[in-house]
Amino acid sequence: MEICKVFFHLSVSVILSPLQNYPLYIRSVPSQSELKFHYTVHTSLDVVEEKISTAGKAMAEQRELYLGLLYPTEDYKVYGYVTNSKVKFVIVVDSSNTSLRDNEIRSMFRKLHNSFTDVMCNPFYNPGDPIQSRAMFTMVSGLKSDKCGWLV
Amino acid sequence: MSVPDYMQCAEDHQTVLVVVQPVGIVPEDQFFRIYKRISSVNQVNVRDTQRALFIRYRHHYPPENNEWGDFQTHRKVVGLISVTSCSSAKEWPQTAERFHGQKELFGSTLYDSRLLVFGLQGDIAEQQRTDVAFYPSYDNCPDVEKRVEDFVESIFIVLESKRLDRATDKSGDKIPLLCVPFEKKDFVGLDTDSRHYKKRCQGRMRKHVGDLCLQAGMLQDALVHYHMAVELLRSVNDFLWLGAALEGLCSASVIFHYPGGTAGKSGARKPSISAATDTGKRHRPGALTTSGISADTSSEIGRAKNCLSQEDIIEKYKEAISYYGKYKNAGVIELEACVKAVRVLAIQKRAMEASEFLQNAVYINLGQLSEEEKIQRYSVLSELYELIGFHRKSAFFKRVAAMQCVAPTIPDPGWKACYRLLLETLPGYSLSLDPKDFSKGTHRGWAAVQMRLLHELVYASRRMGNPGLSVRHLSFLLQTMLDFLSDQEKKEVTQSLENYTSKCPGGMNIITLPDGLKLPPVPFTKLPIVKSVSLLNLPASLRPHKVKGLPGQGVTSASPFIYSPITLHSRGDDRTKKIDFQWVQGDVCEVQLMVYNPMPFELRVENMGLLMSGVEFESLPAALSLPAESGLYPVTLVGVPRTAGNITVNGYHTSVFGVSSDCLLDSLVGVKSSGCTVEVVPSLPRLQLSTSLPRSARLCGEDLSSSVCLQLFNGETQQLVITLENIGSETLNTLEMSSKTLTTKEKLFGDFLSWDLQDALSRLPLKPGQAVTVPVDIHAKLDFSGQENLLQDLNDDGISVTGLPISSPLRQVLKPRPENKQVNADTSKSEYNHVKTLEAVLNFRYSGGLGQVEGYYREISLGVKVDVEPSVFFTRVSTLPASSTRQCHLLLDVFNPTEHELTLTARNQQLILHSSECQRMAIQVDKFDFESLPMPSHDVLRQSSLYQQEEERQQAHGGQINSTLDLRWNIISFSCQLLSSLCSSGEASVEGVLTQLVLEHMQLAPLQWDVLVNGKACDSDVVADCKVGDAVPLEVKLTNRSKSPVGPFSLTVVPFQDYQNGVQNSELQDVVTFIGSNSFYIDSVSPAGNSTCVGALLFLYTGDFYLSIKFQDDSVGRDLPPASFCLPSVHVRAQEPVEVAA
Repeated sequence: MEICKVFFHLSVSVILSPLQNYPLYIRSVPSQSELKFHYTVHTSLDVVEEKISTAGKAMAEQRELYLGLLYPTEDYKVYGYVTNSKVKFVIVVDSSNTSLRDNEIRSMFRKLHNSFTDVMCNPFYNPGDPIQSRAMFTMVSGLKSDKCGWLV
Repeated sequence: MSVPDYMQCAEDHQTVLVVVQPVGIVPEDQFFRIYKRISSVNQVNVRDTQRALFIRYRHHYPPENNEWGDFQTHRKVVGLISVTSCSSAKEWPQTAERFHGQKELFGSTLYDSRLLVFGLQGDIAEQQRTDVAFYPSYDNCPDVEKRVEDFVESIFIVLESKRLDRATDKSGDKIPLLCVPFEKKDFVGLDTDSRHYKKRCQGRMRKHVGDLCLQAGMLQDALVHYHMAVELLRSVNDFLWLGAALEGLCSASVIFHYPGGTAGKSGARKPSISAATDTGKRHRPGALTTSGISADTSSEIGRAKNCLSQEDIIEKYKEAISYYGKYKNAGVIELEACVKAVRVLAIQKRAMEASEFLQNAVYINLGQLSEEEKIQRYSVLSELYELIGFHRKSAFFKRVAAMQCVAPTIPDPGWKACYRLLLETLPGYSLSLDPKDFSKGTHRGWAAVQMRLLHELVYASRRMGNPGLSVRHLSFLLQTMLDFLSDQEKKEVTQSLENYTSKCPGGMNIITLPDGLKLPPVPFTKLPIVKSVSLLNLPASLRPHKVKGLPGQGVTSASPFIYSPITLHSRGDDRTKKIDFQWVQGDVCEVQLMVYNPMPFELRVENMGLLMSGVEFESLPAALSLPAESGLYPVTLVGVPRTAGNITVNGYHTSVFGVSSDCLLDSLVGVKSSGCTVEVVPSLPRLQLSTSLPRSARLCGEDLSSSVCLQLFNGETQQLVITLENIGSETLNTLEMSSKTLTTKEKLFGDFLSWDLQDALSRLPLKPGQAVTVPVDIHAKLDFSGQENLLQDLNDDGISVTGLPISSPLRQVLKPRPENKQVNADTSKSEYNHVKTLEAVLNFRYSGGLGQVEGYYREISLGVKVDVEPSVFFTRVSTLPASSTRQCHLLLDVFNPTEHELTLTARNQQLILHSSECQRMAIQVDKFDFESLPMPSHDVLRQSSLYQQEEERQQAHGGQINSTLDLRWNIISFSCQLLSSLCSSGEASVEGVLTQLVLEHMQLAPLQWDVLVNGKACDSDVVADCKVGDAVPLEVKLTNRSKSPVGPFSLTVVPFQDYQNGVQNSELQDVVTFIGSNSFYIDSVSPAGNSTCVGALLFLYTGDFYLSIKFQDDSVGRDLPPASFCLPSVHVRAQEPVEVAA
């Protein structure tokens, strides 16, 4: 079984305020026990913020967007990615899935980022609203099937 | 060792452990008072040396932990202070016995002990014992601290001796093996003589000495010993003790690097010492050179070498923890080491690494934990996460701890504790319980988890038995998370809210929890959502008006410009802007809200009213029911201001689902408002208007309170009785009345509305409940001239109006209309039905009460609409000269356009007209002397144009003619449609029909000629008698009534005879002779003057003679109208003189 969970976070201000982190898009495959993932991702934001604040001091300009593994739990691995405008992407994958390497995660994030950029380019999208894009939906579904094919 | 101390921190390694315990029955509060005083002595500077001893007090310590005292000496209980109550000497032996028993418990490790006895007096108390102190009562024990200090010093002496003993114990070939409890059985039967064993013994002892040095304040020595211990133990792979040695090294280094301690501000262990004094006191003379005894530089260098750097501390901690991890029984040690390391990392602000340590700590298995221990563990984890700034993680663990409090396995769930812990998680989920934080901008925080937490709070507070709290939390959930709730959830939440409020209605009070947290009220500003607020003006008849000319009425504007395209538009201004109308004290005023219901079901809002400030206000609440997901829905809230002043709408209050809320407009988002402040003027009387005529639909374009509508024939007059009743509570003092005729294209003659207010005014002041009546005459008098299309219509009948024979003054010229014309009368009815409409507004302006003093008045208006039906038409007007020059005949062609028979009377004449009949009427009138009419004043003349002057003059002339004519019509008919006899009468007017020419004809000539024969005035019909043979004197008199001098004139008198057959004979030289000249000469006559010339005639035969007086020279008086030269013809009858007389 493969669980791919995609979260977007938008921090409205450039100065990262932890108060304004809220999900723009949440998708989990399969969709049961979603609340559990809410907690997982919510707590992972602590790490994201910590990583941004420490990395930010060093080189704000050329910061690596990909944050890597945020923290491993018993069942899941949580990966993070932050754009320069402090939009946060989080992917949670099953811990047992050892075949997934860092590079794949990285490319998944990149695809997500592109897709998110497309959404933002939509003149009818109101920044800050929950994303309800069909293109995004198919893209995220694609991520999953890609990996499934890759896994088998 | 199974009980971890989560409060441990690195500097605890340098403390000595003293247990303070009660013996026998000691009141708890008293014990803790004494305990507090004892524990204030947590640092003692030992006499003679400059070292300090740190003491850690515990009132409870499990003995199995004491067994690890050799492993880390700070875990060893070295001192015991017992507190006991002893009221009589009889109890004393028993108490002493118990004290000894307690000493036994920690016996093996104790250095010293003390017993504090309270309440005992007498012989026993007198005896001096070092280990027992007697105090008369808990309140009377001034030297407890001193005693404790002495006690600590004695402990120090023992400690110091032990340290020296062990440190110098180098020659001794038999070093005992120190071991932890679980190791003991492992070493049974081991070769004690092996090098390996000896090294192990040495290493462990080194480590132990290091601990003692650290406790005794010899930081430098401790570091050296720890280093040696690490080397020794590493070589023999004694991992547990190697770990301990490394941890000791870390602790010593931490103490060196962070004299302020790592426990942070949260350190509840040191309540009596503030951080500042703490750091000051922690200048350990043994460790620091500045004030220390060993001032030589070698030790300084040595310290720098031995002490770990900040990075190394973490490395060594990691290493130590990894070694601990090898032993399952050392779980507590490992856990505590993790906690200590996290505290150090928190100080170093290395959150990521700290989180790794914590992550590790989570997985340390301590075997079977009790529920209480689990809660404690989660709470501590939460606190530590908080310490490193991981608020969410902290909140997560706190929530887990809260859930643990009420785990199903617990027989007596602690809902209160659960609730308290849940409250503490709020900041981690960026949730506050103040709805104001959520009222503006985008939603903050993660709604899904926030909602879950709120649900848990609701449940916990309900189980706690505090429904008020549940209602508050549930209201908060509904108010702030409305956008995130699904329809189903909305239903469920509201349903449970209604259940709760049935027991405990929600209000606007602030709920204060026992621990001081205040829960602000949650107004339901989204149930329903208010989109706009607008204050409504009073109905037109109730609006107050300010008397003009009073000060304060002038246009007050902040800008010096009358108009500026730049409008300073700011949201804040809008709200505070004052509205330019006023409300009246005591009168119901209205505020309209546009609301909508965001819920998927019908929303019942009860007790919805206004919140006002500024003046006393009586709100009249309303209840409404909004359909599911309604669109914008107008709601009008009403109330009565009870005093005068400026009133401000602050908000509204509602009661939804049993929760009453006060919603202030300031805190609402996206509310449109054109201003919320309005002036309330003092109370004014109120008039109710009723009329004798039925009311009608309102007139268009005018804001009227009421209006009447009636139908009149042109020229008819009707009386309208207006009743004004004072229905207010104030006395009416003044009443004024005015009327305004709405612009109409119809030309109106005379006053449309006329009234007499005297009677009503005489009855003022009008008390509440009283009424006055005002009679108003409605007088519809429009143009009576036939219209073009009517003339056209008449012409179609083939009857020429213009070509009528005019010889007879009164002749029927029109036959009744042909039948065929009547057939299509209906279709063309509109054509005949030339109904014209007159509209006017009657205004009553009244005032009274306090409002009058302030200069306010009210206006009530009545619209009057009159449909004027034509009564008679004067299709044509012309004049005929009468026999007298002073008179003329006015010929009127009268047409009856009504469907009824009509009688027209003029002076003494009467004319009966059938429907659609046209007749001519001749009225003999005296000519008019228009010059005698009063002329308008010069001012008016100057202002009005020439045309207007002419118009006015013509109108005045018309009026005069009309009043003389006194034309009246009368319609007596029985109308089938109305089923009532219609009897109306009115007057007609020729004013509009008179043309310039007619007027001229009817004007009296400016030159008045009088001809006197025999001294007798002659006019057309008068026959002057004279005798043949007598001289008849003829006098011609000219009176100048014009404004300019006239003349001179020369006149010729020509006698002639009329044979009545069209032949006139002027050849009368033989019949008539002139005595003197037959021509007269009149010199120029000045205005208002007259001139007379006299001649004489001699008639030679009898007969009827006429004298024609002609102007000799017709070039004279070209500038005068021909009527001026119209001299009367003179008829003279000459008769036989003598015979008759004889």
